[in-house]
Amino acid sequence: MKIGRTGDTLLGAFCAVAALTGVGALIWIITDLIQLGLPHLSPGFLTGEVTESGRGGGIGPILVSTVLILISCLTFAVPIGVGCALWFAEIIPEKSHVGKLLSASIDLLASVPSIVFGLFGMVFFCQILGLGFSILAGGLTLACMILPIVIRTTIAAMQAIPEDLRPAAAALGLSRSTTLGKILLPRALPGVIVGITISVARALSETAALIFTSGYATRWPESLGDSGRSVSVHIYDLAMNIPNGAARASASALVLLILILVINLAASFFSDRWFARQSATHSAIHG
Amino acid sequence: MDSLSISDLTIRYGNFTAVRNVNLEVPAGEITALVGPSGCGKSTFLASLNRLTDLTPGCIADGKIVLGESGCVLKPEVDILKLRRRIGMVFQKPNPFPQSIARNFEIPLREHGIPKHEISDRTETALKDVGLWEEVSDRLDQSALQLSGGQQQRLCIARALALDPQVILFDEPCSALDPLASAVVEDHIAALRGRVTVIIVTHNLAQARRIADSTAIFWIRDGAGTIVEYGPTKSLFNAASDPDAAYYLSGERG
Amino acid sequence: MSPSLRDRILRLSLGTTALLSGSVILAVVVFLFREAWPALASGKLSHFFTDLKWQPGSERDPQFGLTPMILASFLVTVLATIIAIPVGVGGAIFQQFYAPAFLGKFHDRLLELLAGVPSVIFGFWGLTVLVPVINRWHPPGQSLLAAGLVLALMILPTVGLTARSAIRSLDPGLLKGAAALGIGRPATILRVIVPAARQGIGAGCLLAIARAVGETLAVVMVCGNIAQIPHSLFDPVRPITSTIALEMGYASSDHRALLYAAGLILVILSGTLVGWQSYRKESFKPRQAG
Repeated sequence: MKIGRTGDTLLGAFCAVAALTGVGALIWIITDLIQLGLPHLSPGFLTGEVTESGRGGGIGPILVSTVLILISCLTFAVPIGVGCALWFAEIIPEKSHVGKLLSASIDLLASVPSIVFGLFGMVFFCQILGLGFSILAGGLTLACMILPIVIRTTIAAMQAIPEDLRPAAAALGLSRSTTLGKILLPRALPGVIVGITISVARALSETAALIFTSGYATRWPESLGDSGRSVSVHIYDLAMNIPNGAARASASALVLLILILVINLAASFFSDRWFARQSATHSAIHG
Repeated sequence: MDSLSISDLTIRYGNFTAVRNVNLEVPAGEITALVGPSGCGKSTFLASLNRLTDLTPGCIADGKIVLGESGCVLKPEVDILKLRRRIGMVFQKPNPFPQSIARNFEIPLREHGIPKHEISDRTETALKDVGLWEEVSDRLDQSALQLSGGQQQRLCIARALALDPQVILFDEPCSALDPLASAVVEDHIAALRGRVTVIIVTHNLAQARRIADSTAIFWIRDGAGTIVEYGPTKSLFNAASDPDAAYYLSGERG
Repeated sequence: MSPSLRDRILRLSLGTTALLSGSVILAVVVFLFREAWPALASGKLSHFFTDLKWQPGSERDPQFGLTPMILASFLVTVLATIIAIPVGVGGAIFQQFYAPAFLGKFHDRLLELLAGVPSVIFGFWGLTVLVPVINRWHPPGQSLLAAGLVLALMILPTVGLTARSAIRSLDPGLLKGAAALGIGRPATILRVIVPAARQGIGAGCLLAIARAVGETLAVVMVCGNIAQIPHSLFDPVRPITSTIALEMGYASSDHRALLYAAGLILVILSGTLVGWQSYRKESFKPRQAG
């Protein structure tokens, strides 16, 4: 069977419609959110207290809780994730059994649905470790969730380092810690930062893992042991459980969307520049 | 300046034997060239001398390598970091650290316990030794990657020299450079005679002829690389007794 | 501190972080199992499949029939996938073969942005915009269709972006070869490019399916949350994830244990999908090399 010019037009048209669908949907979502949310957005909204279960006031305490959850999440996920990635990329041979096992367990962890992290965090952090519904418990749960992202991106950044630096360092009698700390890690740092940025965006987006771990409180958090809801949980609660909550929910959604867009743009900006620099030095060596 | 004495050295990657039964005496302060066709184990042999082969999983070197008076390189209890300070290495592709020129010296010197106040002096001396001081003394804080290929390679030689090694191993140090840069680097290697023991792998027979006191020819025998002939460069090039070696040196092969 | 001592400390501390990271998945499974154990041990798990209704709170006659939920998860996922795969792959083809370069790049960037939109926002948008639209067409609006559509949008970037990279990483010689044989563009795309990129496209689809099965927020807000076997696209449904999200807050004893068991089922499902994917990757390798 021959597919002639009509076939080309048909396929082209179908694909154009397909491409337009994705783009159109994104634009539709964004314009809707702007329409619904923008009228309620004001400096007072960002700093104000939550009143009437969210129907009134602002989202000040919620932003603070969100930031605290993020900080406690990164405090655990970044050192553990980066350390694990360094161990995987630099210490053990790639094809060893331990390496394969670790790699598989990270892949599996990445596949766990976020609601399941919520279940796990609720029993392990809230109950067994006795943290209760708290910002810290939420942060730790999120840390488990973003760990694979931190690990994968850090490994990728380490693998992107030119291979000849390792023998160069070894031939000078440099110890592994010096090679890692003074030569390889500085080189991989931009990539690691991009990975952390992606993780932050992912953590900010998360709701299901937080519903049962960080709690619902809307007051100003005083410590990491306090319950506090994140922006995403706030949107969920307003939309699902509070009659007439949609207006504030859309304003909060707009805030969250802007935050995430800015973070993602920053990540792709940094990664573009980083890769541009990588290839520039590459050509400097070979050119 | 130390001599190196290699006896019955065999190097394997898993089941594959890369180098078999190599015996070689490298006299102190001289330049010894290793030549031969590609893939006959010269670079592997070279990398075993400072135990860089340890970095390759599954690579095992058997036999004896004696550095000067101090004993065996291959013993497991040898402090590899100290060993590599005594036996430096320069690679085919220049590989400065992607940091400033000064940091390229500071990192290894600090690692080997050189006091801070000596570092800039040592850097300067080493850079002068390779004729790079004039060219870079005003931009030591700039990235080493901004240098040209030939300058980068001389920087790598200087970086190795700064650690006061007994031996320096060169793995085809000129083959990634253009002819002019190559000549400059070659001159600086030749100038090391009498200061350090030099072992150089090269594909450039003319280069071996110009700078090496002795030359060893590697060839594949029974599926593994080994030395088929060794001797003073001049006599070897004039009258090699091994037929493969003679053929190779006559320039018709390789 | 001597360098070799420093190295030993480094190895030890990095090894510890690796051990910690590697054991998180183990901890997740172990604690889910532990909480689900009362249900598993008493054989209550079989209620998932034998009970007809889901009325866990009932004093008189508690029933734990999970079948409608499993069916709902399955249907929502299938619906989302059959929408997202042609749209995602079609978009990738458009971008690579039909669109001018700037438009392709623009499309790429927007897909990346779409990938970053939080699921709660998809859910919220679905609830406030999409559901009313469907409601006007065929009440009640919160339905299998709404959940499938919102989920399709969510997994679209996963399908589209992986299909794009798979097509982009193909040997350009393939195109030239096809052109040299006088094969037209549509035939080249459908018979040469797509089959050659099927490994990467398939990987993206599997990932997307895994995401769809596990997605909670975008679905719970638009699916209607009625535990029933749907008879049409417009019937409200309630997938497994939604059930957990809605009931975990107040569930106790058997009910709670069964929710944990449901979580365990989710882990096994998505773990299988991901495991299958890496198995495919392994078995494809020699072919690519050869």
